[in-house]
Amino acid sequence: MLFNSIDFALFLPIVFLLYWYVVNNSLKAQNLLIVAASYVFYGWWDWRFLGLILFSTLVDFSVGKKLKTEDKPGRRKALLYTSIFVNLGFLGFFKYYNFFLDNFVSAFSFFGAEIQVNSLNIILPVGISFYTFQTLSYTIDVYKKKLEATEDFIAFSAFVSFFPQLVAGPIERATQLLPQFYSKRSFNYTKAVDGLRQILWGLFKKIVIADNCAVFANDFFNNSADYSGSTLALGALFFTFQIYGDFSGYSDIAIGTSRLFGFNLMQNFNFPYFSRDMAEFWRRWHISLSTWFRDYLYIPLGGSRGGTWMRVRNTFAIFIVSGFWHGANWTFIVWGTLNAVYFLPLLLTKRNRNHLDVVAKGRLLPSIKELFSILLTFALSVFAWIFFRAENMAHAFDYIAEICSSSLLTTPDFPARWKALMTIALIGIFIMIEWLGREGQYAIEKIGLKWRAHYRWTFYLSLALLVLLFSGSKQEFIYFQF
Amino acid sequence: MKKLLLKTAIFCFAALLLFLLILSQADGHTDPFYIRFTSPKQTHLMIGTSRAAQGLQPSVFDSILNIKAYNYAFTVAHSPYGETYLNSIKQKLKETTSNGLFIVTVDPWSISSKLEKPNDAEQFRELDLCVGKTPFVNHKPNFIYLIRNLSGEYYKIFLQPKSATFLHDNGWLEVSVSMDSLKTMARTNAKVEDYRKNLLPYYKYSSLRFDYLQQTIEFLNQHGKVYLVRMPIHPDIMAIENELMADFTSKMEELAPMTEGYFDMTASNNQYQYVDGNHLFKDSGKIVSRKIAEWIKSIR
Repeated sequence: MLFNSIDFALFLPIVFLLYWYVVNNSLKAQNLLIVAASYVFYGWWDWRFLGLILFSTLVDFSVGKKLKTEDKPGRRKALLYTSIFVNLGFLGFFKYYNFFLDNFVSAFSFFGAEIQVNSLNIILPVGISFYTFQTLSYTIDVYKKKLEATEDFIAFSAFVSFFPQLVAGPIERATQLLPQFYSKRSFNYTKAVDGLRQILWGLFKKIVIADNCAVFANDFFNNSADYSGSTLALGALFFTFQIYGDFSGYSDIAIGTSRLFGFNLMQNFNFPYFSRDMAEFWRRWHISLSTWFRDYLYIPLGGSRGGTWMRVRNTFAIFIVSGFWHGANWTFIVWGTLNAVYFLPLLLTKRNRNHLDVVAKGRLLPSIKELFSILLTFALSVFAWIFFRAENMAHAFDYIAEICSSSLLTTPDFPARWKALMTIALIGIFIMIEWLGREGQYAIEKIGLKWRAHYRWTFYLSLALLVLLFSGSKQEFIYFQF
Repeated sequence: MKKLLLKTAIFCFAALLLFLLILSQADGHTDPFYIRFTSPKQTHLMIGTSRAAQGLQPSVFDSILNIKAYNYAFTVAHSPYGETYLNSIKQKLKETTSNGLFIVTVDPWSISSKLEKPNDAEQFRELDLCVGKTPFVNHKPNFIYLIRNLSGEYYKIFLQPKSATFLHDNGWLEVSVSMDSLKTMARTNAKVEDYRKNLLPYYKYSSLRFDYLQQTIEFLNQHGKVYLVRMPIHPDIMAIENELMADFTSKMEELAPMTEGYFDMTASNNQYQYVDGNHLFKDSGKIVSRKIAEWIKSIR
């Protein structure tokens, strides 16, 4: 079920009313309703996926219970590996089987040995990378004794399948989300209004910004041979805003929806395109994944301890794995590596923690230096997104080669230029609102709170109207495929 | 909780109301089809593809034949003869009509399909286009049409660059483009190339569509008089049509006895101006409309 669908527009109020009016007196019933609603939400795509999520839940719940009573290190490790093997096994099979097979065949062909293997027609279960990492965090934290294993199967099932963030995050840590299922939620008006406001902003990002940008980004990337360098450069810019609007929009809707049910999810995007260097960008982009890799990969590998070589190795490891997490394609690995290369000078000169605060805090405009840093960082990320979006490496190189040709200096020429201008104007408005709201958790968290009610309502109604006027193009969320 | 529900309901209601208010402003500039789904049921209809949509001007028929004609033609993709178009015509025609005047325009494309199996009705593309997706064709504003056919692009209602097309209240699609000879030649060459490369190799005669053309004539005969017309076209497009269906004329002559007559205007193809070889320029459309109206008047 898509957040930007009529189905969800009906589903959400029904679950909300049942949650607060029918099962509000019982914690167990509240959790049970969340599990049922989550399974309906997930099964809406394909009911066969439910078996996977149920199996993953059963395995991790059982492993957690065993870990609670098991003291022998060897056995504890075996239990942990069981969970890792099952979860990553599913992920590996559904997401990476054909990739490894194809590369295996290519490698043999390179050495002159032709082998015949059949790739499988595997359907990738929606959001498998997200819930797999979320359940893994539970087992690892229980293994490390950071979290006590739960005895409550319903609460645990609700934690694994919690529908607002099930298919595209934020990837919650068990230590943060699971305890919220142990205590009964009570309705909080301010929190619910805040949730609705964040949902509205998420819908604006997705429907008004991302879906409009997608029209051009898809056309330019899919038919890149037909367009000039200047048009392709514009295409890369459109994709840059598409992916941000799409993914951060989803996160906003997820976080807002959770707040309606009394839950707090972590912030997943913190205005990344206003970053002053790539280190800051990665502290602000897909925060739940970056911190997951930091906690469960970077730190166990040694983190920042050890020598320079160790830090460089660990940094490259998390960026490359992060790239690979996004999909079974060399383009993602190169995208991850490229970001590691961007990060490297900052790491080596120990300037990777220079910008921990909000840019131009308390000021309306950034300084010239800040603006230059923001634009440079933005340009680097636009370049990296070309690899992320390209179909394969040859496509990425051809795309970049055309941008670097003399045709970059020509006027972009493509159909529907009028619509492109309108989209650019919308992006301009979007950037302005994001800039004004950059000190909040999301752009419109505080904007308008001190205005008179009718101005505030006019602002929100304008956003809602834009959402309605651009609705219906039915572009899927990009991150569902990851 | 009640406060939240009340405020949310008011907010959603206000947003929806504003949205519907904007939708209700859709007009002849919004798209080339919408207005035809907003007018009341009609008595006198002109049907066919885009050649008729652009070429037949109801006001000319009104003045010569003293009727209130309505152009209910779409495009070769939307309104080739078939169940979908016939059902839509049935919806558009006033049930009590007994002395209607119906101009049924025909060409080889309107009884063909761009399918491997030309009679595979489940694959007919008009099913997924506005004629197939709009069950109610006489509502103003027609929200069903707008929601099903304009989704993702509702902004076009109030935010449109100057469009070359305008759909009049009587269903005539006016196209205003430069008729500079070089531009016209370029458009014609592009259209001829498109027809030769992308249409001719894939289109096949559909006996099912021909059968529906017959059914359409039979249905309209119950409500008045039917006049069968083949509109003029550029000679290069004519040549392609002859390749597609060499026996088209004999097929139409087979149907002619069911109607008041068959008027084939392709003999005078050279006398008219075309915006792209396929569609008459509006000045020529006026002349063609007058000729058809006078022909009808002469045999009425």
